[in-house]
Amino acid sequence: MAIAAPGQLNLHESPSWGSRSVDCFEKLEQIGEGTYGQVYMAREIKTGEIVALKKIRMDNEREGFPITAIREIKILKKLHHENVIKLKEIVTSPGPEKDEQGRPGKYLLRMRNGNKYKGGIYMVFEYMDHDLTGLADRPGMRFSVPQIKCYMRQLLTGLHYCHVNQVLHRDIKGSNLLIDNEGNLKLADFGLARSFSNDHNANLTNRVITLWYRPPELLLGTTKYGPAVDMWSVGCIFAELLHGKPIFPGKDEPEQLNKIFELCGAPDEVNWPGVSKIPWYNNLKPTRPMKRRLREVFRHFDRHALELLERMLTLDPSQRISAKDALDAEYFWTDPLPCDPKSLPKYESSHEFQTKKKRQQQRQHEETAKRQKLQHPQQHGRLPPIQQSGQAHAQMRPGPNQPPMHGSQAPVAAGPSHHYGKPRGPSGGPGRYPPSGNPGGGYTHQNRGGQGGGSGYSSGPYPPQGRGAPYGSSGMPGAAPRGGGGSGYGVGAPNYPQNGPYGGSNAGRGSNMMGGNRNQQYGWQQ
Amino acid sequence: MLTAAAECTGLQSWLEPSQADQSTPRVLTILSSVLEKLVARNDRLIEECTSQALDGLSGGLSGPRVGRNLSAFQGVRAPSISIAKYLERLYKYSSCSPSCFVVGYVYIDRLLHKYPDSLVVSLNVHRLVVTSVMVASKMLDDVHYNNAFYARVGGLSNSELNRLELELLFLLDFGVVVSSGVFEIYCLHLEREMLVTGSCQKIEKVLDLNDVTEISVEDTNTVSVVD
Repeated sequence: MAIAAPGQLNLHESPSWGSRSVDCFEKLEQIGEGTYGQVYMAREIKTGEIVALKKIRMDNEREGFPITAIREIKILKKLHHENVIKLKEIVTSPGPEKDEQGRPGKYLLRMRNGNKYKGGIYMVFEYMDHDLTGLADRPGMRFSVPQIKCYMRQLLTGLHYCHVNQVLHRDIKGSNLLIDNEGNLKLADFGLARSFSNDHNANLTNRVITLWYRPPELLLGTTKYGPAVDMWSVGCIFAELLHGKPIFPGKDEPEQLNKIFELCGAPDEVNWPGVSKIPWYNNLKPTRPMKRRLREVFRHFDRHALELLERMLTLDPSQRISAKDALDAEYFWTDPLPCDPKSLPKYESSHEFQTKKKRQQQRQHEETAKRQKLQHPQQHGRLPPIQQSGQAHAQMRPGPNQPPMHGSQAPVAAGPSHHYGKPRGPSGGPGRYPPSGNPGGGYTHQNRGGQGGGSGYSSGPYPPQGRGAPYGSSGMPGAAPRGGGGSGYGVGAPNYPQNGPYGGSNAGRGSNMMGGNRNQQYGWQQ
Repeated sequence: MLTAAAECTGLQSWLEPSQADQSTPRVLTILSSVLEKLVARNDRLIEECTSQALDGLSGGLSGPRVGRNLSAFQGVRAPSISIAKYLERLYKYSSCSPSCFVVGYVYIDRLLHKYPDSLVVSLNVHRLVVTSVMVASKMLDDVHYNNAFYARVGGLSNSELNRLELELLFLLDFGVVVSSGVFEIYCLHLEREMLVTGSCQKIEKVLDLNDVTEISVEDTNTVSVVD
């Protein structure tokens, strides 16, 4: 009995999600801690297929179902592409009955409905072994030029697909680029993504994208933006792959902007018409003249690489290269050509077969590494790509023509490098982080973390934009339900205190889990 | 995106408060009239079915014709507040954009298409409305109130509304995207609905809510106060 006659409006049929229980899967290991819950590697019992289960945390009663999760689900539902992570289904868990003040009416109601969501809701993703940052941070890891081209091309292909489908990712960074052992790269973590419309300049929040990858227009406070914001992030990643370390590791927004200006020059009405009308331009504009030094700083880069990078790291978003045009860049069509993903080395995944002993050893090692990282938070031990110089570590020498390198992995970097929604840090939308003085920006919470402090977070969520406030408006920012430093991790999985064997992304940048916990503690859900 | 839907339809004015009543967008009055008609018809249907069912298996409340899919939204007795007043109340306190009501209506309609044996009746219409409008507002409005707030405005408990939210999302298979084209079609449909019945003038003006600060949609005697 429909109220609206036009039945043809609802033609799209899809398999019913949420009909299966999480019991269809056997959890194997926890592999990460996301902004809204833990991530497990699991095996589907019936088929034996390995998947990643991302638990949606629902412990903030006042907010209900997390909007990031709704966004991610609705967006992934419409995106189907080999370079975009596939959301296979959503499963539920009845879980233990929790008492909610034991009102009889509700009790009856609950019984009637079977209460099938009480134990939690899980998103089921295809399993990916690594993420780009985790992979790049393996000791001794060097990507070859064809490999970098291969990853970059896949990144741009996936992003072009998103943009064509009018989806802005808004959190492009290495740890959100998942890589499997077939060499495939997929965009993941669409919790900040949103649809956009070409014709309508709606006001969007500028509180997106992890600080180090955030474009100047967002840092200057624009609320009208488009796909170019993602392209800036791509440029940062591209440069990072070539350079061997992040190029704009700002601690807070002003410093971030300054680092950008130092490399890309100061914006003015000539190189960026309209920049002076952007909300915070007058407060944040550079105090001294700065000229663009990109070509000078990266003069050792390949000519075509530099050319492409120039067009990605263009200050004026309207002049910045699009994903489509980037794919047509000379860089991808000159020797050495991008390699076939399948020819890339397989970096061994050890999680399933790891012995407890190995785990402990690794943990010790990681803790040592973490301590070192904590002392030197800004040091990134990554190496620039092969080709230019010798290697510090010989364990990994991936190249297009080499066979898979089983067993050759570096001792520390066991385990795949996972992501599936690792802490995203303060990038997360409105209300996720304090207005300023945010040490380490996106990365305090990040796997690179190590900024130690995270002190900026104690100030609670960013002031809501206007009344109401979507995030954290419940007025319990860092407070409680999760409490205790978001210790769900340690509690749930005693074997994985701070860094699991799934050190994964954590490998080599030990403090990931710490970052994760911190993030959890201050996440908007709380 | 979605928020833009209203603009591109050229129906912006339609969604804004009408001249007759500065505080109530016309979509609310149209929607409440559409829902009221529907509920009246379905209630009658149920009544007839129940009186015919001599064995009286399920006492009519969750009778076979209602369908089990909406059972989570089913109360034991109908809330006393009218649909019109309820919609007005939601609009007034949540300050969500009027488009949320159209999109909420789309959600309800999608449910009914998906589960054709489901009926919107007086026992479930309030819960369906508050849940779908809330989810629509989460989708559309960058700034919106949380579930706890909607629960207070809607007169049910936070935990029940959370559960209904999940219920709705799963029933919809998370199909919460409403394109501008679909949005426009539904707007036109609602418009036409009014023309067909010619009841445009007959809609009694929605009562002022200033003195109504307490309502309850819950089965328990809990009263939610909005201040």
